[in-house]
Amino acid sequence: MQKLGDFKLPHFFNYPPYFTLQPVRDTREKQVQLWKELILDYCRTQKIFVIGLEEEFPLFSNPVIERTLSHEAREAFLSALVSEGRAEWLDKGHRKCLILWHRIQEWADIILNFVKDNGLEDSVMTVEEIRSGTESRGTELSGIDRTILMRALKLLEQKGKLAIFKGTSADDEGVKFSI
Amino acid sequence: MRRRPGIGGLQNAAAARDQYRLLGENVARIRTDLMKEQLTTFRSQLEEFARKHKNDIRKNPAFRSQFHEMCTKVGVDPLASNKGFWAELLGIGDFYYELGVQIVEICLATRPHNGGLINLQELCNMVRQRRKNDRGAVSEDDCLRAISKLKVLGSGFEVISVGKKKLVRSVPTELNKDHNEILELAQAQGFVTVNEVERRLSWTSGRATDALDTLLEEGLAMIDDGHRDGKCRYWFPCVSSISSSVGADM
Repeated sequence: MQKLGDFKLPHFFNYPPYFTLQPVRDTREKQVQLWKELILDYCRTQKIFVIGLEEEFPLFSNPVIERTLSHEAREAFLSALVSEGRAEWLDKGHRKCLILWHRIQEWADIILNFVKDNGLEDSVMTVEEIRSGTESRGTELSGIDRTILMRALKLLEQKGKLAIFKGTSADDEGVKFSI
Repeated sequence: MRRRPGIGGLQNAAAARDQYRLLGENVARIRTDLMKEQLTTFRSQLEEFARKHKNDIRKNPAFRSQFHEMCTKVGVDPLASNKGFWAELLGIGDFYYELGVQIVEICLATRPHNGGLINLQELCNMVRQRRKNDRGAVSEDDCLRAISKLKVLGSGFEVISVGKKKLVRSVPTELNKDHNEILELAQAQGFVTVNEVERRLSWTSGRATDALDTLLEEGLAMIDDGHRDGKCRYWFPCVSSISSSVGADM
């Protein structure tokens, strides 16, 4: 089986027609389904948060069978993820896509658990600390995309679980938990 | 003067009728008894044979196939019903019913990928993968037998021959001769191009495109315009082995 680093690629990745957007509806649905699963799996294991449609991305071409996904196909697969709430376009031109292998709500739950596990219920942390501090090392929050983190924090703010405030240094924000 | 039937004549006729009936019944009874006896002997012989070779029948696919052949010759179908001594003795009915269910499951699982047409060999391999505990104990012959039993369900399970290969069809698609010829052609590389079909089968381009379009519509073919020669290729997941493990993972 072909591999990308330590990621096992599914068999369909070696079957050339899966790189051409299929014209027949049923066949295309199946094709889109397989690609959606592959993209989510890959991003989850490789901790990839943003896919640029016009950039190099390992899944978009398979040198072994000399096939590359067209721009149309890339957009079709990612749009399918967007419509399921597993991705979001970052721009109107659909050039960058945020991949949510955890939905924002799930990320919010992960943050809550992280806070409880570390006894930070009434503490203050900076956003950057949540992403790269010692507490988050080895957890799913380590290295999380800033956009996703802010979205999850704002969701928690709406629920009254925390307050976000401007920090002293202009480039970082602080979070006061009150769980 | 005509003699009118007297009471004595009527009684005679009735007595004779009774006699005939009794005689007839006797003859019939003797015949049935004889047949019953023959059947019992036959049955016990067959039972004895089956009992003696029980393990061979269960474990050895070649022997099983021969046993079936023998049964067909004497007009007995061990798979006709799951009740009766065959099932009790051999569990042979269960074996094929189980196999049939597994075949249906595999056909359904792979249908989105291959459009409901699967290579018999590939199907067999997947069945074997599924029955890891007795790997190798299922032959293609067994699969064919199990599939033939599925026909009674009216679900359109059928085995079709395309070239040298046997394909199992699980959707009620009618494949005509043109489609079969394309599938046969595709067995070489797993795909065909319109040009290739025209050239190899001496068809007009209309005929080739038409047949290929139907196969595409039925979900049996997938197109690929990614090759650098720019020619559109029609791939057939049902004949190419690269697809063999898709679906098995499900």
